[in-house]
Amino acid sequence: MIKVAIYGKGGIGKSTCTANLAAAFATLGKRVIQIGCDPKADSTINLLGGTPVTPVMDYLRTHDDDPDTVEAISETGFGGILCIETGGPTPGLGCAGRGIITTFNLLEQLELFEQHQPDVVLYDVLGDVVCGGFAAPIREGYAEHVLIVTSGEKMALYAANNIRNAVNNFADRSYAKVRGVIMNRRNVEGEEEKVRAFADSAGLEIVADIPRSDDIIRCEDMGKTVIEGAPDCEAAKRFLALAQKLIDEETTSAP
Amino acid sequence: MKNVSRIIPCYAADTAGVCSALYELGGMTVVHDASGCNSTYATHDEPRWVDMQSMIYISALTELDAIMGDDEKFIADVTAAAHDQQPAFITICGSPMPMMTGFDFDAAAAEIEARTGIRTLAMHTNGTRSYVEGASEAFGAIVREYVKDQPKADGIGVNILGATPLDFGISGAVESIRQWLADCGFTMVSCFAMGDSLTDIARAAAARVNLVISASGLAAAQYLKETFGIPYVCGVPVGTFFSGILANALRLAVQKDADLKPCIHRGFRGRKVAVIGDAVYAGSLATALISCDARVICPLPDGGLLPEDTFNSHAAAEEDIEAVLAAWQPEFVLADPLYQAILPAGAKLIPFPHYAFSGRCFDKTIPDWTAAKFDACGIKKQIMNGETL
Repeated sequence: MIKVAIYGKGGIGKSTCTANLAAAFATLGKRVIQIGCDPKADSTINLLGGTPVTPVMDYLRTHDDDPDTVEAISETGFGGILCIETGGPTPGLGCAGRGIITTFNLLEQLELFEQHQPDVVLYDVLGDVVCGGFAAPIREGYAEHVLIVTSGEKMALYAANNIRNAVNNFADRSYAKVRGVIMNRRNVEGEEEKVRAFADSAGLEIVADIPRSDDIIRCEDMGKTVIEGAPDCEAAKRFLALAQKLIDEETTSAP
Repeated sequence: MKNVSRIIPCYAADTAGVCSALYELGGMTVVHDASGCNSTYATHDEPRWVDMQSMIYISALTELDAIMGDDEKFIADVTAAAHDQQPAFITICGSPMPMMTGFDFDAAAAEIEARTGIRTLAMHTNGTRSYVEGASEAFGAIVREYVKDQPKADGIGVNILGATPLDFGISGAVESIRQWLADCGFTMVSCFAMGDSLTDIARAAAARVNLVISASGLAAAQYLKETFGIPYVCGVPVGTFFSGILANALRLAVQKDADLKPCIHRGFRGRKVAVIGDAVYAGSLATALISCDARVICPLPDGGLLPEDTFNSHAAAEEDIEAVLAAWQPEFVLADPLYQAILPAGAKLIPFPHYAFSGRCFDKTIPDWTAAKFDACGIKKQIMNGETL
């Protein structure tokens, strides 16, 4: 099973990259689960035609008891992708990190992986690894690899470095390891050089180079990924190539 | 509001279950919790502290530790204490605050084990579940870690599973159950976990059958069944009638290689009696009350043991317990005395103190109703006569 957590600075395009990567895996015949770990709960919206799934936190807020089935807190989107959103508390209140842990505990209780038997699980995680809750997706049993999304913008690279350091802090534990960088271009000056300099200094590979693309924006306006809405565009090809790369690596490393 | 107790107390928490299950086994149990809470786990929920030492520690988690996620402090403190104390094993378990901050007990246990070289077990308690879940996890971890295959003991060897003061107090009941097994001709192998050491219980695979005396022992019994093929029988030998059934069930389980649950009672005709408590103990009492129309109300997790039917109800919330009692309208209720306040009008309480529920309030009167002692206590006769006790 391929299990990847996607991290990166807020607004850098994590959800766009995650949803497109999920759609690419599905197009390549894989059974995929995408779990949005962000109180905004918009990670999977472009896999669902623009209609959001009920977040787990919203379900728990309105019901006395935990759901009995995964179906109560999920929707099936493009390519049969199972879409789940943790959601979170009312902005400014509560503890979003705790919401992620609660969701993961619930999914374990519902035996999500055993029941659904996915080939690929993608976790789309809010911003930096700010607290224990936001590190939950990289714990043993969850993601095995971390992909960091960044552009060549200074603050995006700063956040990328923080994420890498945070993950490295858990080097003594059986947590996920940083697999590489997704360069999500914003067309800033010297972008490739800047991202490459960061990746080299961190000893990381740039696993995908996603061009700035009007196709992505156009498809998102329709509630779609480019894999679904513009499968022949360059961005779609890059996501498909990344998915194939990760599949090939998994196949090679399998015992 | 669901699951809020307005009148009755809540049962001891999962953390207390871990501490109680492991109390006598020579390990070091560290609860990750704020300082000052040690007494809850090691004295209020634990009667053995008076005359028996055990390595139960609290990490003294501070507000700043919680905010900063200072795992290293916890890991270093446990490591230092382990170097000083040299326990047989280490167990770390949680409370509400680490639950909120998402402390990773599995990862911390692995780090502590790597630093100390001492086997370290992570328990997934959070202080919000019942002692049954904590004790079950602890017993389950111990059997997985320490019980290895070995030759069978002579005769019909038996392990007692699920013995903690939380269910039996220090009334002598567990010792009486041991004696009852011996009197019935069984060979005692080990008791999880009162009166035996880690070395004793590591021999558990020498048994031919397990006697599960509380729901806390069920997970360990299921593991021993799956791993070593040892069948189990659920029941507490209360009264001569039910004790006889239980002894036969132990022999039959060995002969047929079958798990038997004689504590699931099917009711008799007679006066209406509700029995509230642990699934195994309450079920055994209900079955022992021959000539009574008894119903078990189990407010605790039962590991799937009791069916939900005419004779058994799962009701964890105070309002649900009240509803079952109101609908059933029993003449007698065999329960901890603190249930008195929510009994329907006219129902008479028969005291059945439960340490996990009322702590030391009634600890001197926690009964030992093993075999003939239950017949001798006069409860059945008084119920038959409709007398107030």
